[in-house]
Amino acid sequence: MDNKNKSCNAMDEVVVKVKKKCREITKDLEEGKYQKMNLIWFEANGCSGNIISLLNASDPEVGYFLKNMVNMTYENSIMSTQGQKAYEKFLDTLNTEFILVVEGAVSLKDNGKYNVVATYNDIEITAKDAIKLASRKAKYILAVGNCAAYGGISAAVPNPSGCISLPEYIKDKWIIRLPGCPCNPYWVVGTIGELITRGLLEIDKDNRPIEFYGNTIHDACPRRGYFEKKIFAKTLGDKECMLRLGCRGPVTRANCPIVEWNDRSSWPIGINTPCIGCTNPGFPDKMEPFVRY
Amino acid sequence: MSVKLNIDPLTRVSGFLKIEVQVENNKIIDAKCTGSMFRGFELMLKGRNPFDVIYFTERICGICSTAHSYVSSQAMEKAMEVKVSQLAMYIRDFIHGAEFLQNHLRHFYLYTLPDYVRGPKINPVYNEDLSDYRIPENIEQRINRSYIRALEISSLAHQILALLAGKAPHNHGIFIGGVTSNLDANIIFTVEEKLKTISGFIENNMLKDVYDIAEYYKDYFTKGSSGKNFLSYGLFDNYIEKEIFYVKPSAMIKGQLEAFNADYIDESINNSWYEKDPKGDITDNRNKEGAYSFVKTARYKGEAMEVGPLARMVLCGEYKKGNASMDRILCRVLEVNKVAMIMQNILKLIKESYISANSLEFKTYEIPNIAKGEALRDTTRGALGHWLTIENKAINTYNIITPSVWNLGPSESPKSLGVVEKALIGTSIENISSPVEVGRIVRSFDPCISCATHIHGNNFKDIEYSII
Repeated sequence: MDNKNKSCNAMDEVVVKVKKKCREITKDLEEGKYQKMNLIWFEANGCSGNIISLLNASDPEVGYFLKNMVNMTYENSIMSTQGQKAYEKFLDTLNTEFILVVEGAVSLKDNGKYNVVATYNDIEITAKDAIKLASRKAKYILAVGNCAAYGGISAAVPNPSGCISLPEYIKDKWIIRLPGCPCNPYWVVGTIGELITRGLLEIDKDNRPIEFYGNTIHDACPRRGYFEKKIFAKTLGDKECMLRLGCRGPVTRANCPIVEWNDRSSWPIGINTPCIGCTNPGFPDKMEPFVRY
Repeated sequence: MSVKLNIDPLTRVSGFLKIEVQVENNKIIDAKCTGSMFRGFELMLKGRNPFDVIYFTERICGICSTAHSYVSSQAMEKAMEVKVSQLAMYIRDFIHGAEFLQNHLRHFYLYTLPDYVRGPKINPVYNEDLSDYRIPENIEQRINRSYIRALEISSLAHQILALLAGKAPHNHGIFIGGVTSNLDANIIFTVEEKLKTISGFIENNMLKDVYDIAEYYKDYFTKGSSGKNFLSYGLFDNYIEKEIFYVKPSAMIKGQLEAFNADYIDESINNSWYEKDPKGDITDNRNKEGAYSFVKTARYKGEAMEVGPLARMVLCGEYKKGNASMDRILCRVLEVNKVAMIMQNILKLIKESYISANSLEFKTYEIPNIAKGEALRDTTRGALGHWLTIENKAINTYNIITPSVWNLGPSESPKSLGVVEKALIGTSIENISSPVEVGRIVRSFDPCISCATHIHGNNFKDIEYSII
């Protein structure tokens, strides 16, 4: 019991720490202690849901993040420039100190032509080649979302577009994994906050920041009491432990029970559905069936 | 003199889109829309557990994921003959409404506006070099403030979604039988508060912003017309309350309104990177000669049909002006205002139900051995259809036709062009080295390419394929 309490407390501390850090960033900026770092947010083969998730950020808000924490030079969904000029912004950034964020998996089929991201001087640029180019020069590389971190839904069987994860594709660089489908904006903003201030990050053997992925969902699940007493939900919508409905909480590392989603509005278990293990390697294939009766 | 212009990537859309136009004497004489990414969800879904299709298909799209859970859950309910209670329907429709708010707010401010204003001074939004810039500085500054505020307001829409459905994007709360969340007074009033804040922003800021853009860019009321073919599968049409009812399934061909008939839906792959293999299966082939997109072609009675907010506003009789780019942008904003009001009225019904102590019933379900189901519903970007068959308790076929397939599909033949292609052709380009007109016209359709690239399943009895 003591151990359990300890893990709960440890996670509470994480929340406090990250919040404090965001405040510190404001202070640091005023004192001119560091400069915002350039950032390329690169959408590869996926649903572009991680940039949408980032727009939902609340600790701090995305407007603050873009104004004060990074200088985002390239992002397909929100950048004003288009066409060749947009791709040139990507190329220009490569000559600076920058963070490379990739969301989506890397499609290898037909030499990458299942994910063309630009036409440059009449040549098709594949996501695969652009990522290779940028990864050589990036100061930090982040694989954001399950597709980039582990292949995810883009690589689901039978993997029609030949997708692999970013770390499988770029093997000679340190890549921080921020899995999740999508990645919680709290994890992205927090990780980038660490990098631009301390330049340090505690990571596990899979290169995931321990701050966010150090414990399992089950460790801090508010339904843990039901689990201990072996009281199980019979259907989606029930309030008890959902292990028998297929909940992947015990094998899924993420701090969803603490930070929840969308400015702490709720989270999957909060609305009576099982965790489907979206931060795990092998998601979705090895996490299915998501729901079983 | 004839020149070919390529805009790739056409940014500020979801996914990857390339637009190629042929310009002669400053007029577009030919246009091609290319969806440049492919994942193949229909192939992935084969053999999966039918209960999983809701959480699986919503991952087609990051910006409109709720659209897919909304439609796939109804396709499953059809297959399993599950009846949804009225309260569950209200809540699910309300959740779907929240996705409308998020999409339209973000599309207008984040995706559309940078074509008309230089934007707030944050990267990668600010654009000093914007050409054909016409808005006076004081109005621009006000619109830029709205942009910043819209970041926050659009997140509120996703917070409403999360309160009722767990998280966004990729919610958990929409499921077979309707929804999984239990209501309580905190949730009801929190949702109400957030909705009121969003409505206030739309009424006081967004409407003013769109009318100003429309005023300074009047010529866009004549640029980018796709013709008068409109299609809707119906939206908020299960309600007798007139303040909620919006549009029933309907079609308009060459300006003539007619009742909707699903049998007229057809699709082809003539100019798409797919082909039929000797066994009759459809497979992807990026090197297919003459093809130029991963998006397939959808037709209704053989016609290319425009779908989306303009189509709905025209079909329900509320919008009687034109059908060009600015009409489309204006209708999207008028619609988000309307949806916010519809949601307030649905929330009243939810509250009444809550006060009279109605509660949701949750059941377990069994997967049928053999079944088929479909759901055709309008969602943020227009008409969305999911068709599925189940065999041996597993998904056998799954076919999806998204709104962006209707709007951004390639031509079927030189005489049967895609909707956006038609809208582009004939447009005058003032400055060939900076063809701003192209982006403005294409974005008015709110393209979503993550959604749009799908193989169609073979052996699907309900759809007659026309593969020539």
